[in-house]
Amino acid sequence: MTDNQTNPESFKWVGKRVKRIDGPEKVTGELKYMTDYHFDNMVWGKVLQSEYPHAKINHIDTEEAKKLPGVICVLTHKDIPGFNGFGIVVPDQPVLCSKVVRCTGDAVALVAAETLEIAEQALSLIKVDYEPLEVVADAELAMTPSAPRLHPDGNIHSQVIIKNGDTEKAFQEADIIVENTFYSPRQMHAFIETEGGWGVMDEEGFITIRCPGQYAYRDRMQIARSLAYNPERIRVISSPIGGAFGGKDEITVQIYLALLAMHTNGRPVKIHYSREESVIAGIKRHPFKVQMKTAAKSDGTLLANEVRAVGDTGAYASLGGAVIALAIEHSCGPYKIPNVDLEGFCVYTNNGIAGAFRGFGVNQVCMGIETHMDMIAEKLGVDPIELRKKNVYHQGEVSSVGHVVKSSVGTFKTLETAENCDLWRNREKYKTEVSEPWKKRGVSLATSFHGIGMGIGLPDYGAASIELLQDGKFLVGVGCEEIGGGNSTVYAQVAAEILNCDISNIHVVQGDTSRTLDGGTVTASRSTYTGGRAVATAAPNMVKLLTQTAAEMLNLPASKVTINTNYISAEGKKLTYQSIYQYLFDNRKTTRVEGHFYLPKEKEGIEGSGGAPHHLYGYLTHVVMVEVDTLTGETDVLRVVSIPDAGKVMNPQGLEGQTEGGAVMGIGYTLFEDILIEDGYHKTRNFTDYIIPTIRETPLIETFPVEEAEATGPFGAKGIGEVVMIPIIAAIMSAIHDATGARIYHLPATPERVFNALKSLKNKKTQSAR
Amino acid sequence: MKTIQLTVNGVQCSITCPPAKTLLDVLREDLGLTASKECCGKGECGSCSVLINNEAACSCLVLAGQAEGQDIITCEGVGLTPNLDVIQESFVEEGATQCGYCTPGIIVSAKAFLNGINHIPTTDEIKTALGGNLCRCTGYTKIIKAVQSAAAKNNSKKETITG
Repeated sequence: MTDNQTNPESFKWVGKRVKRIDGPEKVTGELKYMTDYHFDNMVWGKVLQSEYPHAKINHIDTEEAKKLPGVICVLTHKDIPGFNGFGIVVPDQPVLCSKVVRCTGDAVALVAAETLEIAEQALSLIKVDYEPLEVVADAELAMTPSAPRLHPDGNIHSQVIIKNGDTEKAFQEADIIVENTFYSPRQMHAFIETEGGWGVMDEEGFITIRCPGQYAYRDRMQIARSLAYNPERIRVISSPIGGAFGGKDEITVQIYLALLAMHTNGRPVKIHYSREESVIAGIKRHPFKVQMKTAAKSDGTLLANEVRAVGDTGAYASLGGAVIALAIEHSCGPYKIPNVDLEGFCVYTNNGIAGAFRGFGVNQVCMGIETHMDMIAEKLGVDPIELRKKNVYHQGEVSSVGHVVKSSVGTFKTLETAENCDLWRNREKYKTEVSEPWKKRGVSLATSFHGIGMGIGLPDYGAASIELLQDGKFLVGVGCEEIGGGNSTVYAQVAAEILNCDISNIHVVQGDTSRTLDGGTVTASRSTYTGGRAVATAAPNMVKLLTQTAAEMLNLPASKVTINTNYISAEGKKLTYQSIYQYLFDNRKTTRVEGHFYLPKEKEGIEGSGGAPHHLYGYLTHVVMVEVDTLTGETDVLRVVSIPDAGKVMNPQGLEGQTEGGAVMGIGYTLFEDILIEDGYHKTRNFTDYIIPTIRETPLIETFPVEEAEATGPFGAKGIGEVVMIPIIAAIMSAIHDATGARIYHLPATPERVFNALKSLKNKKTQSAR
Repeated sequence: MKTIQLTVNGVQCSITCPPAKTLLDVLREDLGLTASKECCGKGECGSCSVLINNEAACSCLVLAGQAEGQDIITCEGVGLTPNLDVIQESFVEEGATQCGYCTPGIIVSAKAFLNGINHIPTTDEIKTALGGNLCRCTGYTKIIKAVQSAAAKNNSKKETITG
């Protein structure tokens, strides 16, 4: 590490409100997303989705579709040269179904045609002879022996268990026990850019796929596996992305594009899902049923927690197993509870497909443990912040899942900040300022955490390259895609800081198997931490290359060479970066360096936990104020205070972008959003009936970061992308209770649900008065 | 097929296409102006917003035939990277764009809104004006700030001219 890496006072770029490097081309619309490319000789691809949520396929007849003028090819499972399946962990989802369909998102055939209209018509001419089968529409029922088996090993895809201490004894000794069941919705990512892209095969059989994704190298592996193709002969370009949030982590249309490209005589083929196609085919957040029983002593010390969580993963695994594992790992909150009995099931049904989504299972359990914290505080008559402060683990202490947390822990500081923020200190005053006499206000808080990186048992590394260009600028290459969060700007900041140059001298390329190294996914709140650290590892190598080359050029020892802002000097002589490039080029020497970083891991895993514990976590506390209309049950979130522990903040503007966007996504999850599926059929089809927050629902959001530096991160940074939407869910639920006295256990907290909760509260009061 | 005359970003264009093709597809496919995006195809999200005779409209709901003789401005027509409009500048400064896919539509709506007022708008006014544009990344807070700061810049410019 150089001096300017260790002394924050001297930072020029890191920690500053640096404007996004991709801002100008985004605000003018000049940036080309994958589906913005259009070619004169291009053909259109379409996917035939299954008519039934569960059916046997007897026969597929494509003859008539093939005869339609303008149709270039019609493909079925018979046209897949390699393995007919995909899936990040267990590839159990067919690329094109052959014998059975398990959800309406299943693909049965592909068409390429001269126009989109011809392709659509061709789909209607494909005759599929289905034999409908009994639909498995409920995860609990799916686990019973009489349910139809959707996969050869049954309907339980995975089960995770973590047990510590003696919960039975603890419940006997407890002064207080709270026990409830929580239901959470099937949230849709609702990225504004639906899935799409294009594929082309050149004369020599080299395939290029341009399709937004969250891990180009893994997408390439999955494509190659289905095509039985050398992955080196496939290029995947996966960045930029018009929003993903986990929804483009799994394969979307990449394999379809590659298959079609093999049959279009070198013409580029484009697929761009309509919103309706995207709603049906795209993965969703797992709906959970969480049964939780929590015990405490009268002084507020948490004694025990018992959890049974069932997640509906739909027809295929994708990352469902990992989601349930992460949920269980986080199901006790950032607390030290000595006795725990935690169990989670990931269950197959015919309800679409669920997979990765910002928060990755933690959202669904946080609402349980944090509601219980609120209830315990209420019953004991203690301050909810004091109760949490008493039970949080600190760095070096043992967590509820039983491991010593060695990395930085900011929970306590976030709670202290919450205690001192204006909204909390003056909450009683704010609560009286209702906008109408029949409206009631409540202020509450919740805290949570989220693992960073992959946990135990999975490879987790970062890699970056830096190349000196002819014009004297630097090209920083990182595999992690620009998903919207601003990691490209962070990478440029890190490079500019260490290379001591202006940020305009840094170009960043991401998500391209031909131009970037394999550096893992842009998921798991890992890309700032991992990619940033990889750039911070590569940059000193570039400094070394520049210094040594300058020394060689000037015939001086390297120790005499100084890297100044935007130029190099030694003993009064100045060298430009262009001249150093020219020297290296003329002497046939490399102008490129690399940096590699392996994420620190825990040495011992927790048996049966499916990947716990993580080495590193990000922490966050939310304080919210809501106003509930007692006549309609409608809830407005008026104010949000977001207090993240992101380690060293690389770019305050980027961090606020995450906390503000995460808070609003959390509001949508808590109050409106749910994809309704009945008997395997989607009832919600587009933004006409799937309501996400608009600008009108945006509350006043304040962000007060707590910087608990993490020694292993770049300049002390950690990840934050997911936890920003988690505690707000429970905080809103508790604030509704604070306002009205009614508790909500079933999300989203729609006006109907809140109204009914108010009504039954009223009935209870009337009865007890009698 | 029908030949349609329209003005796009100040340029007179003649397009031959099926009359039922949407204005959005004409802009994207026939004219290569891809700032306007299709996201819902139902007029719910505002990603395809363009100015038609200075009023914001969803171009996915307008058929090519209806655009005959109209004056269309897309986000590219508001400003390009070498000479950003004040609104675009403010969006960059405030960090009001993330994935950026909805941004051109929001810039167009903001342009229509600010063209019609002479003061620095309140948060509520901005919320009403941009209520038809969905964004999933930003949480809108920085968009509100960017529109306010663009209005402030516009006002101080006007003051300089009149003063």
